[in-house]
Amino acid sequence: MSEFIQYTLQGLAAGGFYALSALGLAVIFGVLGVVNFSHGACYMLGAVISAVLLGELHVGFWVALVVVPILMFAFGVLMERLLVRWLLALDPLYNFLLTFGLTLVLVEAVKQRYGVSGLPYEVPAGLGGQVTVGSVNLSTYAIFACLFSVVVCVAVGLLLTKTRIGMIVRASTEAPERTRALGINVGRWVTPVFGFGIALAGLAGVLAAPTRAITAEMGSNFIIILFAVVVIGGLGSILGAVVAGFLVGLVEAYGIAYAPTYAQIVIFVLMALVVLVRPSGLFGREEVA
Amino acid sequence: MSDSTSTTSSVDAIAGSIATEARSRMLEVSGLSAWYGEARVLDDVSIDVAPGEVVTLVGRNGAGKTTLLRSVMGLHRQTEGTITLDGADLAKRSPDARARAGVGWVPDDRGIYSSLTVAENLLLPPVVHADAWPLEKVYEFFPVLHERREFPGTKLSGGEQQMLAMARVLRMGSRLLLLDEPSEGLAPVIVQRIGEIIREIKSHGVAVLLVEQNVKFASTVADRHYLLAQGKVVEHLGNDDFRAREGELLTYLGM
Amino acid sequence: MRSRTVQGTVAIAATASLALAACGGAGGPQSSGSSKLTDDKVVIGLLNDQSGVYKDLSGPNSAVAIQMAIDDYKAKYGDKAVAKDIEIVQADHQNKADIANSKAQEMYDRQKADVILDVPNSAAALAVATQAKNKKKLYINIGAGTTALTGASCNKYTFHWAYNTGVLARGTAGAITKAGGTRWNIVYPDYAFGQDMNKSFTKEVTAAGGTVGQSIASPFPSDNFATFITKAGEGNPKVIGSMHAGGDLINFVKQFNQSPLKGKVTLAVGLMFITDIHSLGVDQFAGTQFTDPWYWNFDAQNKAWADRFKAKTNTRPSFAHAANYSAALNYLEAVQAAGTDNADAVAAQLEGKKINDVFLRNGEVRKADHAVIHDVYLAKVKSKAPEDWDYEDIVKTIPAAEAYGAPNPACSMG
Repeated sequence: MSEFIQYTLQGLAAGGFYALSALGLAVIFGVLGVVNFSHGACYMLGAVISAVLLGELHVGFWVALVVVPILMFAFGVLMERLLVRWLLALDPLYNFLLTFGLTLVLVEAVKQRYGVSGLPYEVPAGLGGQVTVGSVNLSTYAIFACLFSVVVCVAVGLLLTKTRIGMIVRASTEAPERTRALGINVGRWVTPVFGFGIALAGLAGVLAAPTRAITAEMGSNFIIILFAVVVIGGLGSILGAVVAGFLVGLVEAYGIAYAPTYAQIVIFVLMALVVLVRPSGLFGREEVA
Repeated sequence: MSDSTSTTSSVDAIAGSIATEARSRMLEVSGLSAWYGEARVLDDVSIDVAPGEVVTLVGRNGAGKTTLLRSVMGLHRQTEGTITLDGADLAKRSPDARARAGVGWVPDDRGIYSSLTVAENLLLPPVVHADAWPLEKVYEFFPVLHERREFPGTKLSGGEQQMLAMARVLRMGSRLLLLDEPSEGLAPVIVQRIGEIIREIKSHGVAVLLVEQNVKFASTVADRHYLLAQGKVVEHLGNDDFRAREGELLTYLGM
Repeated sequence: MRSRTVQGTVAIAATASLALAACGGAGGPQSSGSSKLTDDKVVIGLLNDQSGVYKDLSGPNSAVAIQMAIDDYKAKYGDKAVAKDIEIVQADHQNKADIANSKAQEMYDRQKADVILDVPNSAAALAVATQAKNKKKLYINIGAGTTALTGASCNKYTFHWAYNTGVLARGTAGAITKAGGTRWNIVYPDYAFGQDMNKSFTKEVTAAGGTVGQSIASPFPSDNFATFITKAGEGNPKVIGSMHAGGDLINFVKQFNQSPLKGKVTLAVGLMFITDIHSLGVDQFAGTQFTDPWYWNFDAQNKAWADRFKAKTNTRPSFAHAANYSAALNYLEAVQAAGTDNADAVAAQLEGKKINDVFLRNGEVRKADHAVIHDVYLAKVKSKAPEDWDYEDIVKTIPAAEAYGAPNPACSMG
């Protein structure tokens, strides 16, 4: 029984991180209708920048947690202005291919500059070790990463539900044309929202740095899991991404515990089942399809 | 659809029975043509609406009524001709700029956001004119919206959604309302209420361009009527003429 | 509709990358049987991973090591050198067997390579062994771990210079088990290499008197190992063996270090290279035990060579760099002794040769299976690095015979 609790907690800890990582993907899809394949590469950039800040400038984790999202926001703004914007009017496939290509460029560029074996990173002071209650224990850092992710998800949730900006973003997500007809310059919000989504990917990268291999390829497998998360949650649904993040974390942990070889397959079986029963995902709107 | 070419030759539209020179014009549309791809859906349409005036567009399905509204709003871009609001040219402006200039759109599906509460639906658009209704006045006039202000917008009934859509552009302070079939699918008592609201709006000097299939309802609220057929204005009638020819028009509209 | 578009695109992308296949070379020319050099020069082909996971381990810097061997050969023999004109040709096999296959053909046929060196990645390594056998040209593998090169797939023209998975298992599993680490749980990535490592380690742990409680397969690749580590900790093992490589290994170790098992259970790693320690930092790996075929700071001789290497590359050599040097130099010595670059003659010179050089200690090119056996080392990662790349304490030297065992009976030289 304590093992089951242990697996559950580990699943939830991983799930919080998945939720945060998928959040930006959901926001960008929701507002722009862009399936951002480069989300994994932006997550990788977040981790690589953290490692470079630490290794070359001796700038630590806590500062990176603030600086990296800002840098990635700027990167996202450039990416939207210079590339994504020009394809928005076309079939979504074009931006999918664009961001796919961008992923290859970013991964190769990081390989060229920083090699392939990965970059070192330390667990920040005070977050090493474990927290043990009875026979159940979790690494302090995993607890931190999960709580931090939840706080960010809640903050993004509040931003979306309680502020005027959030109201505009929700309205633009639901019906961009009608929102324009109600006097709102939707286009003006597109760039910052895209930047915000990329900043969230970068933030997830910073959180990953102390606990995962920081390599150019680190986002390549991860993006597939994130796609599963947003498809399960409903493309473009923020609440869906968060709930599905936790769900995927749990399913993965139970998979590892009881059928280790199939740990990743079960995630995609879950995805297939959800899509069969509810094609628009758990929290997706029907008209999104 | 016939294979229309892009000639701009002005087909002689049948002149209306009302002289149009003396009114001050809030909205003036002249020589407007619109296309969907190769298909011409509006052909040299000229209409105008004065402040405090309610003008309807009547016609069969596919006559181009909704396209005309969407063209005024800037949502349909494949157009030629001029559209002015209070003398200012709208043709080059984006939909959101037109909205801020005073055009308020109430689409035929009401356009209520499901992800926004009733209150948020009201507060979403910016206030664009000094005469905009304050929220308190909106709630006073539409008590049901106050009651349900925390509900998701689409949890309202059809009639309530219609009121919300109209209240929204009033709170925004739009000077010209584009109402697309406000009575559609509503119970008679609600339609009556919508009529009252339109008259109230009119009394505030707001101009209303109304697309309506319900000829009876149109005749109770409107001052003038344009009859559209195949993208052209074929009749322009005062409300008295309109009432007198109601039976004929109903037959023409296939009702 | 959008998710279908996504799937479609992913499928297209996957197909496209598969289609980056090779175009084959033409039939090979006959190698000359005369005592002169073919084409009046010796061409050494370096075929390895120049852009992927093994780039840092070997990659382009192995060309530097080979050039050092050429320089040393020329300095030693001067005017008496049989090979006066020596050229290096390089290619990137991208860790794909089909690309390795076509690149090897191209090297042997069009670029007139007399020998191909390195070829990490077992599938790529075996593809090149087949080419060497068919074209009757020499091939000295360094980077790959598969025991098949000196087993079922062995041939007259293929030599395996540095290590194999059996050596790693005997070194790491044997030494740790004998030192008291008798109860093991193993986590391995679920593909050919990982399955092979799991079998080898289980066999050696058992042979040394230990037991393997659980062997847990993890999907490949994998980012999240927390629950795998929890599972591997069940049953109170003394040792947890990770058979992962590259990014998976780093993920595993980072997450192991954040688990309560750190410090309580010995972490043994099946396949680890100094480049992994470098990328993760010693503190993450501190205390981890693994088998290293060679370590640059083991003794003065190694250090002196590593200093030369650093002067050219600004980095310290991995075992693969030193092994490429050793293989190239001994190949050239064999050419010198044979007076020709004819593959059969050079192979005859190499077979049975006992070698002691900067890489090989108590080395012997075993005639029976062409395994180049030598002493290997059980290494333990330091808890603090006195300087960059100085990461290992050598716990124990494992003598060549013990490390390599008897020749594989599956090998029949054809």
